[in-house]
Amino acid sequence: MVPIQIENLRFTYPSREAPTLQGISTHVAPGDFVLLTGPTGCGKSTLLRTMNGLIPHASAGTFSGSVRINRTAVASQPLAVTCRHVSLLFQNPEQQLFCTQVEDEIAFGLENLSLPPAEIEKRIDTALKQVGLPGFRTRRTRTLSGGEKQRVALAAICAMQPQVLLLDEPTSYLDSQATQDILNIVSQRNAEMGITVIWATHQIKEVAPLCNRVWLMHDGQLSLDLPKAEAFRDPTPYRRLGVQFPSEDVPELCYGTRSVPTTTTIVQPPYEDTERQIDVPAPRRSSPAGPLIHLRSLSFKYPNSDKAAVNSVSSMVTRGEVIAVMGANGSGKTTLLHLMAGLLRPAAGEIVIAGKTLKRAKLHQLAGKVGIVFQNADLVLQAETVRDEVEFGPKNLKLPPETRQKRVVDTLTLFALAAFAEETPYSLSRGQRQRVAVAANVSLHPDLLLLDEPTTGQDAQHLNLLMDELCNKIKRENKGLIFTTHNLQLTLKYADRVLLLRDGELVFDGTPDTGFTDVAL
Amino acid sequence: MSVLEPRTKILIMLISGCLVILLDSPNALLACFLGSLSLIAFSRPTLRQIRLLLIFLFFTTWGLLYSQAIFYNEFPRTVLLTLVPAELPVIGEATGGIRIYREGLFHGIVQSLRFNTTLVIGFFIVWSTQPRDLLLALVRLRVPGTLAFMVTTALHFIPMIANETAAVIRSQRLRGFRYLRFNLRATIRGILNSFRPILAGNIRRATRLGESVESRGFSSDTVMHRTSLRTLKMGPWDFSLLALLSLCLIGICCLKILYFCYLNGIYYQSWLRGVYTFTREVL
Repeated sequence: MVPIQIENLRFTYPSREAPTLQGISTHVAPGDFVLLTGPTGCGKSTLLRTMNGLIPHASAGTFSGSVRINRTAVASQPLAVTCRHVSLLFQNPEQQLFCTQVEDEIAFGLENLSLPPAEIEKRIDTALKQVGLPGFRTRRTRTLSGGEKQRVALAAICAMQPQVLLLDEPTSYLDSQATQDILNIVSQRNAEMGITVIWATHQIKEVAPLCNRVWLMHDGQLSLDLPKAEAFRDPTPYRRLGVQFPSEDVPELCYGTRSVPTTTTIVQPPYEDTERQIDVPAPRRSSPAGPLIHLRSLSFKYPNSDKAAVNSVSSMVTRGEVIAVMGANGSGKTTLLHLMAGLLRPAAGEIVIAGKTLKRAKLHQLAGKVGIVFQNADLVLQAETVRDEVEFGPKNLKLPPETRQKRVVDTLTLFALAAFAEETPYSLSRGQRQRVAVAANVSLHPDLLLLDEPTTGQDAQHLNLLMDELCNKIKRENKGLIFTTHNLQLTLKYADRVLLLRDGELVFDGTPDTGFTDVAL
Repeated sequence: MSVLEPRTKILIMLISGCLVILLDSPNALLACFLGSLSLIAFSRPTLRQIRLLLIFLFFTTWGLLYSQAIFYNEFPRTVLLTLVPAELPVIGEATGGIRIYREGLFHGIVQSLRFNTTLVIGFFIVWSTQPRDLLLALVRLRVPGTLAFMVTTALHFIPMIANETAAVIRSQRLRGFRYLRFNLRATIRGILNSFRPILAGNIRRATRLGESVESRGFSSDTVMHRTSLRTLKMGPWDFSLLALLSLCLIGICCLKILYFCYLNGIYYQSWLRGVYTFTREVL
């Protein structure tokens, strides 16, 4: 088995002044299962990349210190040699699959290791069995669900028989079942084969039961490096960084019909160190709460697909409501959101927004009525500066300059983006980019805002800050917010109502506290 | 046409590329174009693919015909239609008149047939070949590993880029932006702005994919020593088709050289007069 020794590790990306890793020194014993966590942008992914040699071999920047795997410095040996011992599983299954067929994907790494075809054949079968996909050998990767894709990616690296498995937020795109599947596979390999595992995640609760060591990162340093028993004694360091703590109870429900605090403590994002107390007005639903959007027997089928992605979904959203759409990967959540935004035309049924049917509306005519932020929020960002991005919508609506300016300033202030107004959106962190994308839609004052998987890759602090501000605004202005998520905690905290989809059909429509359980998922 | 091996497909494209450059006659070029369409037909495209292909063919044909018909500057040329008379103040005076020429139109047809033939074969390769087979074929054809990987990855990204482009455009429209409007400057700016997220997304994706394959031991150094689960093996179809096309290419090359020598007074044989006529009329 292979020990990992990290000594005074520093790394600075070429485009940045401050180092991303600032003198990390630690040791991982063979067979350890390390949980690596920390706020977005703290350097988790960079640290993992130094361990498999992508840094410095495939990334420019200033590297110093050392990472030794089995007493050999990773920086001094080619990547192709390191990959025989160390494998890295990435966050997004879509972005790491290279081949169109499952067996080819698994064979890819083995072919690079120059293994004979007979051995490759054998390892493909074994790897597929290990990840629970024995009959998937000849399946096309594009026909797989997100969870299955990630299992194929895991099989592809497991087939290379590494002794160290690095996982970079591998479940952030997956539903709870798929997450559990990945957790089971990895923990089994760790327990039975003694493989060393380092798992970077924001979802501490899922991984914590399996690990024996915890690394908490902040600003490129390990602010905490302890065995599990000691690491979770005190929640303070986690809360200070806005990171999930495993023993936290389900948070108090803040909106809807439940008890609502009149003052909320909002922890500032990492770029501001202080905490601030701000007055958040108690959410209120204006009465009467009129209907905002009406879905009537909505159905949709993608071309070249046998089954309906959304099948006869009917529901109604009233003004001031925050709705969570939940369901497994491929259950039709995103399709439903795209239908509501007018991006897809329903095959049957109709959508009525604020009394008007969407059927013949052109997309630009929906501006100011519906806004959508995709799972990949970067697709919204197209302007040169954050200010231009937020101003883009109001400008297209031809609002008077004063009104436009006021909207821009208000929105930038609301989402704590005023300090970055003149910066290009792509220079910001992922959490900040998502806020810009939301702000760019909110500046249009849409009646209905749709968020597709806002939790993806976000830490709890960024997410709570965004959702707090957004939900308050929605309640205050009597608008509507619908978000898709796999995160039960987020749903319980913010949603007034849950729409649960299974295979495109609506199987639950009610408040989160009425019969809505994990079992339903 | 999955019976064809990826190397055959690449060689077909190369040979066809040479053929369409050598040929001048619209009839011969039309035959090449129809041949390329038959390849597509054998690959059994979906309706969506056919629609995409037709859109591409329409725009390339229309663009080439339009530009060649108007900007043809060889002589003799015959005016078919006057769009802007030379006497028209400002535009007419500045341009000397804008006309559509018959010879330009003819030239446009020839050019569009050339372009569309290679375009169709390109689509055929993309739609009927798996990226890893293409990578293997390029490596076997002694294309440098890095270049082979770049080509394969680029093809792998095409559908993703199409999806992202659609998402970006829809997002802009949902924020009130209208592409077709009278403010040309705003429209152009909108189009240019839409490239930003697409480009950024692709750079990010390419980086991730690069990291993913490098983490699995792929590099330009190891690519030549890789083993392969699949083996590329040319069958009778591959050999027959390549032999036929190579024969055509060599034959046409010889005929063109003979005709060139005859035209320039370098070499002439009276018994070759039939060959000269054939080359002039048919090729």
